[in-house]
Amino acid sequence: MSMRLPPVIMDNGTGYTKLGFAGNNNPSFVFPTVIATRDSSGTGVSGGSVTAKSSGSLASKRGIEDLDFFIGNEALSNSKTYGLHYPIRHGQIDNWDQMERFWEQSIFKYLRCEPEDHYFLLTEPPLNAPENREQTAEIMFESFNIQGLYIAVQAVLALAASWSSNKATDFVLTGTVVDSGDGVTHVIPVAEGYVIGSSIKHIPIAGRDITYFVQQLLRDRNETSIPPEDSLKVAEKIKELYSYVCPDIVNEFKRYDQEGDKYFKKFQGIHSVTGQPYEVDVGFERFLGPEIFFNPEIASSDFLTPLPEVVDNVIQSCPIDTRRGLYKNIVLSGGSTMFKDFGKRLQRDIKRTVDGRIKKSEELSGGLIKSTPIDVNVISHKKQRYAVWYGGSLIANMGEFYSYCHSKAEYEECGPSICRHNRVFGSMNG
Amino acid sequence: MSNTLRPYLAAVRSTLTAALCLENFPSQVVERHNKPEVEARSSPEVVANALTISRNENERVFIEPSVNSIRISIKIKQADDIERILCHKFTRFMMIRAENFIILRRKPIMGYDISFLVTNFHTEQMYKHKLVDFIIQFMEEVDREISEMKLSLNSRARLVAESYLLELYSK
Amino acid sequence: MILLDYHNAVIEETLRQPIIGLEPIALDSKIVDFDGVSYRISTTPQTKSVITFSLLMQCFKELVQLGAKEMLQKEYGSYYQTQIEQGYDFSLQFDLQKLPEDKEEREALVKKLSLIKRDLLAIPFEKAFEQQAEFEKEENKNPPIITTTPTTKSAELMQIHYRDLEAIYIQAQNDRVTVIFSTLFKEETDRIFGKVFLQEFVDARRRPALQNAPQVLYSTKEPPLEIRNLPELQKAEDREDLGYVTFVLFPRHFVKGEVRDKTISQIQLFRDYLHYHIKCSKAYMHSRMRARVQEFLKVLNRAKPDLPSVEKKTITGKTMMRGA
Repeated sequence: MSMRLPPVIMDNGTGYTKLGFAGNNNPSFVFPTVIATRDSSGTGVSGGSVTAKSSGSLASKRGIEDLDFFIGNEALSNSKTYGLHYPIRHGQIDNWDQMERFWEQSIFKYLRCEPEDHYFLLTEPPLNAPENREQTAEIMFESFNIQGLYIAVQAVLALAASWSSNKATDFVLTGTVVDSGDGVTHVIPVAEGYVIGSSIKHIPIAGRDITYFVQQLLRDRNETSIPPEDSLKVAEKIKELYSYVCPDIVNEFKRYDQEGDKYFKKFQGIHSVTGQPYEVDVGFERFLGPEIFFNPEIASSDFLTPLPEVVDNVIQSCPIDTRRGLYKNIVLSGGSTMFKDFGKRLQRDIKRTVDGRIKKSEELSGGLIKSTPIDVNVISHKKQRYAVWYGGSLIANMGEFYSYCHSKAEYEECGPSICRHNRVFGSMNG
Repeated sequence: MSNTLRPYLAAVRSTLTAALCLENFPSQVVERHNKPEVEARSSPEVVANALTISRNENERVFIEPSVNSIRISIKIKQADDIERILCHKFTRFMMIRAENFIILRRKPIMGYDISFLVTNFHTEQMYKHKLVDFIIQFMEEVDREISEMKLSLNSRARLVAESYLLELYSK
Repeated sequence: MILLDYHNAVIEETLRQPIIGLEPIALDSKIVDFDGVSYRISTTPQTKSVITFSLLMQCFKELVQLGAKEMLQKEYGSYYQTQIEQGYDFSLQFDLQKLPEDKEEREALVKKLSLIKRDLLAIPFEKAFEQQAEFEKEENKNPPIITTTPTTKSAELMQIHYRDLEAIYIQAQNDRVTVIFSTLFKEETDRIFGKVFLQEFVDARRRPALQNAPQVLYSTKEPPLEIRNLPELQKAEDREDLGYVTFVLFPRHFVKGEVRDKTISQIQLFRDYLHYHIKCSKAYMHSRMRARVQEFLKVLNRAKPDLPSVEKKTITGKTMMRGA
């Protein structure tokens, strides 16, 4: 081509897939990572048992049955006649047959591009096995003949996405990523582009738990106007539209009691079956929902460590020479970090712990040692929701991106094993 | 045609069974080395005469025995371009996964499509007759798989062409 | 999905909110389409309510000679801009305040935009079909005197270089329109798979259900008669990987109206359709091979004796685990 076409960015997550082209601010498509196929044995059956089954069903057929499938939202709407499968589990590709077909349709139907003309940037979870990268490369280069491939770790891309924030001073790839989606929240430390695998922590509190909690609060308060079949949807909407993080729970209650009219909101909904409009009062759940990150005991009984403490523990478990950098650059990513003032609160709470510790150690030394205060910065930015995708878009839009990719020629020369390693971005110009 | 298959496989089977008589044999040249002699070729007296079993000019098996290892190389039938490319794809696909196929060599030797290397360590850990079974079953099935792949490619192509052309004149 | 969509889903998705929903949002997206077509949909930093839609395609110059500008002016009227965004071939501009009131009209507009590449590439086809009709009319007016040697009239050959090394050639004759694609496969696997597919295109007409389908011819190396004299092909003549696919369309394949539109949409996607299916076949082969390799592994693993799993205890009574 006389002009280079933009690289394709595909971020396949456990829940949602984000597709688009480099240089854009938003992914062109966001849909569930789900594939609907003809074999009825779908929904929940683990893909681990591909062998016997698919050799019986797929390989034995001599037609183009394997083209009869849907992905994303179309898959969900066809779930009555097709079986649903989720090819990605816990961030990792679980069923390669389905994933290959998922990509096939992502490229040709949704992105509508000829893979032969493009470079691709794919994402992977931290601690992904190199074998998975090999398999990905095999599919991408052999089935789709793509021009070049770069596989980036999601957390690193989330760091890159924060470069767009005006708080970020320079392009560093050191920082702590707090990634909270629908199912689970991860805290991932990254030092100079490498994930510190041993220190990663997962927290079983994320967007879905907030929704359930809000739903529970509404139910406890006897909001009878909500039709039972819509109650989860209403809770989700209330969470998305009205929730915010408060600096202090007790004061917030007080303020609500004093000038309720200023804070209480009304949510208007329409009954999904009858079409009748109804109204719901929105009160304390506005700040109580996101509060479960900071005081988990109000919602769950099995996980009780607040998020700021987890972040602090994670950083404390990292090598000592990286800790300052990790405190200085705590980056948010994912939809459940989008609450107003989430970053502020997180920063304040971590700062408090850190300062407390320094003070204590100074006291213990008897005033002999004076430490330089540690910078704690939580960075929030506009692109937080699809931070991983956006980070990919930024990186792939740079001129030197192509030199970090593994090209088709290299693949042909060395085979899939070259894709086991992907150079850290920024490592080449020193 | 297929009546030549049975004696062919039978010959391979008995040759392999006889050849798989391996023992631990440290290198005579370098101290504390223990290499498959058929690969290392450091001392010619421990490498036995190699042998070719041919079914026809396109299909043959080349067996190279030695004191502590044997190498089996197979030439798979390839009648035309399609079979050639499918065979290449299939063997390549397997060899990329050689890690899992303990006895598979990552590269075939010259003039063959796929090679296996069995050492005395393998025969110590695994049943000898089952290893032979595996090679024989592989030879049987690889032909069938390739011709099935070819058939399905053809029928796919037909369906694809039909659906396209149907669009061009129907309403 | 056997057939490819005719429209571009990304364009539709991007413009749904601002144009159909009339909600101004800040936009700046680069979008691509098959055959190296790229679009840019953007709003200016000052105002979100004016959307600029620009397009770049390799063969735009050739299409302009065939009347692309006139077509765009006719179809898009006041949206068509004389000032072209830098780096693109033409620009359209939509002011959200001046869009049609009717929601359906706006929906139709988005649909039309998502088909813009199809409409542009349709120009040479439309032209060829008209030329053919003209020839036929003339012939009916004064039928040729000597019927044994019918004189074939042919219009000028239209060339559309829609990709770097591949082109479409279209020529109208008095009873038919010939469409020739030059095809190039970069990979050997693709070339061989492609040959199988193309052979089936050629043979498909033998089946009774498809007797009325257009005739398809396929040749490698040797360019078909119609384009043999082109200088660019004489250079390329010795290229092994270059092939030529000829579609012979008779008037029944392009009856004005729905049939014609469909034929045009379908035929210009030929290359993409072919490559899509080659890739799908490779994906299918991969799943077959995955299953087969699994089976071979099972057979091989039978050779490993099952070691009796003895639970080993450490001195403190804990179970000792060896890395599995």
